[in-house]
Amino acid sequence: MFKYILKKLLMMLFTLWIIITLTFVLMLSVPGSPFNSESSSNEIVQQNLEKHYNLDQPIAVQYVLYLKSIITLEFGPSIKQPNQTVNDLLGRGFPISAELGLVTIIVALISGIAIGILAALRHNRIIDYIAMGIAVLGISIPNFILATLLIQQLAVNWSIFPVATWQGPLYMVLPVLALATGPMAIIARLTRSTMLEVLTQDYIKMAKAKGLAPWKIIVKHALRNALMPVITIMGTLLVGIMTGSFVIEQIFAIPGMGKYFVESINHRDFPVIMGTTVFYSSFLIIMLFLVDIAYGIIDPRIKVNKKEGEE
Amino acid sequence: MKKLLIYLSAVFMFLFLAACTATDDPEGEAEPEEQETEKTFAEEEENETTEEETALGENVLRLNNGTEPASLDPSIGFDAVSWDPLNNLMEGLTRLDQEHLAGPGAAESWDVSDDGLTYTFHLRENANWSNGDPVVAADFEYAWKYMLNPETASPAAFLGYFIEGAESYNSGEGSEDDVNVTAVDEKTLEVVLEQPTGFFLDLLTNPAFFPINHKIAEADPNWHAEAETFVGNGPFTLEEWKHDEEMLFAKNEHYWDADAVKLNNIHFAMVNDTNTQYQMFEAGELDTASIPPELSDQLIDGDNVFIGPYGGLEFFRFNVEMEPFQNKKIRQAFSYAINRADIAEFVVKTGVEPAYGFINPGYTSPTGEDFRDVNGELVTFDPDQARQLLEEGMAEEGYEELPEITLSYNTSDTNKAVAEALHGMFNEHLGVEVTLENQEWNVFAEAQQALELQLSRSSFINDYNDPVNFLESFITDSYMNRTGFSSPEYDELIAKGKSEVDEEKRWEYLYEAEKMLADEMIAAPLRYYNTVVLEADGVEGILRHPVGYFDLKYAEKK
Repeated sequence: MFKYILKKLLMMLFTLWIIITLTFVLMLSVPGSPFNSESSSNEIVQQNLEKHYNLDQPIAVQYVLYLKSIITLEFGPSIKQPNQTVNDLLGRGFPISAELGLVTIIVALISGIAIGILAALRHNRIIDYIAMGIAVLGISIPNFILATLLIQQLAVNWSIFPVATWQGPLYMVLPVLALATGPMAIIARLTRSTMLEVLTQDYIKMAKAKGLAPWKIIVKHALRNALMPVITIMGTLLVGIMTGSFVIEQIFAIPGMGKYFVESINHRDFPVIMGTTVFYSSFLIIMLFLVDIAYGIIDPRIKVNKKEGEE
Repeated sequence: MKKLLIYLSAVFMFLFLAACTATDDPEGEAEPEEQETEKTFAEEEENETTEEETALGENVLRLNNGTEPASLDPSIGFDAVSWDPLNNLMEGLTRLDQEHLAGPGAAESWDVSDDGLTYTFHLRENANWSNGDPVVAADFEYAWKYMLNPETASPAAFLGYFIEGAESYNSGEGSEDDVNVTAVDEKTLEVVLEQPTGFFLDLLTNPAFFPINHKIAEADPNWHAEAETFVGNGPFTLEEWKHDEEMLFAKNEHYWDADAVKLNNIHFAMVNDTNTQYQMFEAGELDTASIPPELSDQLIDGDNVFIGPYGGLEFFRFNVEMEPFQNKKIRQAFSYAINRADIAEFVVKTGVEPAYGFINPGYTSPTGEDFRDVNGELVTFDPDQARQLLEEGMAEEGYEELPEITLSYNTSDTNKAVAEALHGMFNEHLGVEVTLENQEWNVFAEAQQALELQLSRSSFINDYNDPVNFLESFITDSYMNRTGFSSPEYDELIAKGKSEVDEEKRWEYLYEAEKMLADEMIAAPLRYYNTVVLEADGVEGILRHPVGYFDLKYAEKK
């Protein structure tokens, strides 16, 4: 087990290095500079700016500087917001995005699994159709449309919730609803299909024959196996949602980190691009690793070592 | 368990269906609904004032800054989202008054030498920083030299080049001591200019020339990064600043003109979505909002809409180094083929004015007239002349057929609509089929700078309140030129338009220069920018200057 983890860690570092290098190359090969703006300027000012951010250095030097900033985890100041370091931006934005993301995932998981089980238990009956109808809608309605609708109806017309900004639990309701619907639908469909499969298994019949209470069969025996695919997608889903959604955060004026992924590239804000990339990829790699470990815990049939062999 | 599940899904179903009913609302229902909203708006307003009275006190103006300011360091923050807060937190030697002219600010009065080169400013005795320190001449000297220091890398530094020694210091050749700004004593500042500059006092209203409390800045170079350490000398102080989230301003009791300031607090949200900020306005969470483009037709004629000029121009640059635009007549033909009134009214909308010249209305000449009125309509829509000029131009160049033309713009919905309208106009009036091409902003800007585009969309936002600001762009080899245009005659007009001591004469040169630009048709103006703001009832006195930033000094909320 220890050897496996060590090996995995080294692999992770190597993957990270490849991602960093690729990002660096892509970043510098895109035309444009961080200092293009609609306001006036002149050559001297542009030169001073380039010098200030070491962009006048040879590419090799810039690459070394980047690697250094990554190893020391000091990404330096953002070019767009020079008073803020990338660490400031991410340190401030991530907890907010993560909070919103976690709540979203919890809501999506509970409601998704509930709907999935319900649909499976009432297979091919009206509740099943309704549940799957909701799921299809949830997958196909983009969250920004849902967000706008929620605001117009619940905030503007009915004044139940505030429209936007981030000032407390009440402000979280609409963005969570908008964000959770998609993942909820995916989870519901996954749960339903695996539940249906599991419910026909012999051991479920066995459990029924033993006279166990129906809810015990579902929760203890069926659900545990039915959850495997859900856990598989959980790693990516968690990372995606916890690092913030550009669109939802923009619509609800939530000061999370989602916007930096998109805006840093639009502004060619190189330190922020590097920072977000490193952050996101390490987070993803670690989550995938945790998912691997979680398999072993949920399903004792999967041994981490063996699984590695299968790959 | 089963019951719980059913309950849970029932709750969710309800929420979902509630969201769905919102979709079914037909457009026609909008009106009665609006009334309803108004009612709730009023109700909520009441609720909120009681709520906020405890939190913020009365008289709070709730605005939206869009995004986090790039920086509240006056030398670094060089964009509207930084200027709007800065202009209300700090004050330069001069400040734009209610007539949008440079009036006394931190300086009470000034003397200008006869040759127009030396300015001596007398600071107010009662000009103070928000921490109680007096505003001294050394604060200005410090701030300006800091801005011009090449290591500061201030994007605004070029504005300071009118000061003697500034350009060489900023380019790294000269030294700090060469910059001719001197604090003669505590309250007297002397500035020597490179050459006479008639609009120097206007220039000083730009935040780049705001003072910096040198004692604070020397002790803590990052004084401007947080509300706790921020020290200003303007009508308001920075009480709270949650980055990316909100800012809270309070009336500055140390401000010399504190009696004129009516608001107790200003709250800035940072909402970067036009629909959201409009919905917040509707729900009574914001006091002003901009109009989302899709709702322009419905809202633009409302009573609560403020429409004012904004110093800026949208135009298209001809690249005179690429065929067929090396030919003046062909350039003119394209300009004559543009129906600017239609573009303003039906394409861009939101009450913008078509541009029949380069300089937007709002610049008052020394004789009290408006620049635009004096120079009149320099570019017009005339399809017949357009066709004739195109024929003549093609004959001059010996073209049987016009070389292919690509019209480029940076990706945006409005730009696309404008480009498509132009495509139609060129086709209809000139029989020319141009190819449309859009590029991401940064890629586009780079290509335009490198003169790789034939006909490209541009915009210009004024930095200071003088026509020369725009006209100067087109002198030979200017960084802002981006057309390949070069004319010694034009360069000279601009040189004189900057340095002539006699203001009336100086303006004559500028009139000349604009006429020449229109005749040479280096760029085809389309429309002027404007400011369109929805204001809630009771909001009064927000000064929205045509150039740059707004002033809340006299604002009220009744």
